[in-house]
Amino acid sequence: MFKDFKKYAIIYYLWIIIFVVLPILLIFIQSFLDMNHHFNLINYKTFFSSTYLKMTFNSIIYALLITLICLMLAFPTAYLILKTKYKKILLILLILPSWINLLLKTYAFMGLLATKGFLNNILVLLNLNPVQFLFTIKGFLIVSIYIFIPFMILPIYNSIEQIPENLIKAAQDLGANKWQIIKKIIIPLSKNGINAGIQVVFIPSLSIFMITRLIAGNQIITLGTAIEEHFLVTGNWGMGAAIGSILIISLFLSIFIVQYPRKKFLRKKNVDIPSVGGANV
Amino acid sequence: MFKKISRNLFLTMMFIFLYFPIFYLIIYSFNSGDTMVSFDGFSLKWYRELLHNKDILIIILNTVIVALISALIASIIGTLGAIAIYQTKNKQKQNILYSLNSVLIISPDVIIGISFLLLFTVFAIPFGFMSVCLAHIAFSIPVVVIMILPKLNQLNGNIIYAAKDLGASEYQVFSRILLPLIKPGLIIGFFTAFTYSLDDFAVTFFVTGNGFTTLAVNIYSSARIGISLEINALSTIIFVITFVMAILYYIFEIRGGKSKYVKNN
Amino acid sequence: MKWGKMNIKIELKNIFLSYDHTVIFEDFSMQLDDNKFYTLLGPSGCGKTTILNLIAGFIKPDAGQILIDGIDVTNIEPNKRLVNTVFQDYALFPHLNVYDNVAFSLSLQKISKIEKKKRVMDALNFVNLGEYIYRDIAELSGGQKQRVAIARAIINQPKVLLLDEPLSALDLKLRTEMQYELKKLQKELAITFVFVTHDQEEALGMSDYIYVLNNGQVMQKGNPIDIYDEPKNRFVADFIGESNIISAKYLGDYQVKINNDIYKCVDGNFNQGTLVDVVIRPEDLKIVTHKTKLKVQIITRLFKGMHYEIVGQDISGEKWLIHSIKNVMPGEEVFLDFDPEDIHLMSTNV
Repeated sequence: MFKDFKKYAIIYYLWIIIFVVLPILLIFIQSFLDMNHHFNLINYKTFFSSTYLKMTFNSIIYALLITLICLMLAFPTAYLILKTKYKKILLILLILPSWINLLLKTYAFMGLLATKGFLNNILVLLNLNPVQFLFTIKGFLIVSIYIFIPFMILPIYNSIEQIPENLIKAAQDLGANKWQIIKKIIIPLSKNGINAGIQVVFIPSLSIFMITRLIAGNQIITLGTAIEEHFLVTGNWGMGAAIGSILIISLFLSIFIVQYPRKKFLRKKNVDIPSVGGANV
Repeated sequence: MFKKISRNLFLTMMFIFLYFPIFYLIIYSFNSGDTMVSFDGFSLKWYRELLHNKDILIIILNTVIVALISALIASIIGTLGAIAIYQTKNKQKQNILYSLNSVLIISPDVIIGISFLLLFTVFAIPFGFMSVCLAHIAFSIPVVVIMILPKLNQLNGNIIYAAKDLGASEYQVFSRILLPLIKPGLIIGFFTAFTYSLDDFAVTFFVTGNGFTTLAVNIYSSARIGISLEINALSTIIFVITFVMAILYYIFEIRGGKSKYVKNN
Repeated sequence: MKWGKMNIKIELKNIFLSYDHTVIFEDFSMQLDDNKFYTLLGPSGCGKTTILNLIAGFIKPDAGQILIDGIDVTNIEPNKRLVNTVFQDYALFPHLNVYDNVAFSLSLQKISKIEKKKRVMDALNFVNLGEYIYRDIAELSGGQKQRVAIARAIINQPKVLLLDEPLSALDLKLRTEMQYELKKLQKELAITFVFVTHDQEEALGMSDYIYVLNNGQVMQKGNPIDIYDEPKNRFVADFIGESNIISAKYLGDYQVKINNDIYKCVDGNFNQGTLVDVVIRPEDLKIVTHKTKLKVQIITRLFKGMHYEIVGQDISGEKWLIHSIKNVMPGEEVFLDFDPEDIHLMSTNV
């Protein structure tokens, strides 16, 4: 369509090469270098030892837990907002907290969850024993869910909103009650949104290191924490890159597995694949 | 009736959950004491101190400048990229380009952070303002692309032929036809890139250096030493600005759009 | 059940309904009998789809009653009513195939697999779609989707089938075909069909009985022939078929004055001197060679296949629409003739 345009598009292609392809290659290369810059497989051997496998397993379990709880809160929220008269403004208000810098929000939780913080003051007022939130798994889960939930609500809201009103009416007409409509129509038809939501919550919660450091102390080590530790504390870049490489490979494998049948399904239906926005954490 | 009450109850709980930490920050910005644990009395002293704290003001300025520069350059390159993907005729090539574009959106920030750290080390780019800017531009470009691409896909291909048929040059086709049509996507892309940059912590954390720091990185590094309530005052200001912007967006985009729709009917 | 109401299937009693401060129905009533093909005909916004929504239960009236089989269903939810709907855009579930779409209502009940399959097959065979049982919805043509929507709606043996402009998305040829099929289907199922359309041809072709609606009011009800031949007012005459509607005065004694000329007519239920509207269908206007009271100059002529559609203007400036097989040229002056029984008189108020 454009001939002159091709000259300018080179800038974009350069970006792809320098900032997309090259960095990933660099991680892979680095992962084969040991502390003395020798090329070998020691980092991968270390990774497949029990300590790292256990850490990976825990990290996945936490990420799954966070994703599941987010989903269980986000789906009803999205569904119920759509039933209100003020759905647009309510959605904006629900998403608004995600526009505040997440370090500020995490910082707020440091005050809220402190040993003598607000939450414990309330517990004491209610004659309950104070609970240690900071530097525990509880605190980590609460803050993570808080940070990620808007990213789960948005795609689910969008996909439920797109379900034609007539389909709901048709299901009702054919005898379905409210629960049957949710189970048989709304959940299957909002699958794309649910998948997108899972993706934008699960991946960052596997790799986030900021919340683990500030809220969970060193109680929880996620894949992200381990990578950060090797790059910025121990200086073992090779080990960090090896963990990174494994993370990258498993992410792309899982996305391929999730998306392949979806794409096939969508090709049949001639539906656009909704673009996946990322939780920027 | 009962259903409506339980529905509203659930939504109210969600709102409390999502807003409580923010209001907590805001309330303590008016604390005359020094901590976020006990409220000693109302005072505006943290706002005053914030305005006189040169270090924080410079950090805020850094953050905003990086966000503006990176959003602007990412918008330009992203527009070029969206058009490049759109006009790629070979479907397979187009899919590959689209996938490569998505890599940085899907990648976790830690991965982007360490990969850019490696990249800048290899190219010997000094860590500081320059490296942070480059990193932010790089991770904002794909966001702009995916905001613009749907607008391009929506437009009828014949429009471009029609413009050429009527004598428009390539540049004129771009400036008079394409640009106005993709403008909504471009504006959203710019603002998304801007907020991504403002919000970023992890990538900046890996690629910054030489004393250059943004707000998020600064809070992270001082969190364990103890943070001054000036940050609460700052949070309050940021929240108010964000809130006002969201309300304005609602009034102009959604309500305005609605009334337009009604008129057309 | 009350005496004398045995065969009334649906009754809407004194319905009042408003929406966003706009009154849609004010004291609206209607009775639909068993085993009949009804059509609700009217322009968009006349309230015809709202009536379907009231019967199906998607909308509740502000006041008034809806009875099905003599039972008050006003406050019964749509999923509990023995009424099913064929939606305008079919509303087929995109994530289910043909079988699962048709089986949807059965899958909500406890029905054995064998029984379910048998009933789905019966319904699909009924609409001649037996071979398409495991197709994806996206693979079907418009006509096939239409049949799936019908099969899905009749599988539960509803007492009433509501059809909301079901043919509007089909092309002309298919639409004509489906008209025959729907008519046949209604006879075979022997239940009441309530068919909503804005297309007068569909209404005239299929219905046992037509309600012509405008602004939430019944303009006229009756069988298709009566509605076509004896429109009660200007709105009906205008909406049903093309026609010439002219203001006139009834002089009494089966005489009517049109444009200062006096004609004989067969309608006589008016007081002497009443102002009336006169309808003359374009196919009843004959272009003749002998001199008559009505001389027009031809303005336009359009070839329509079966006939020419001609517009002529008389001396007073009144325009006449004529359907004729005679080929006349624009500019030509011709005489028009019509029989007394072709003049139909209507009162001017409503």
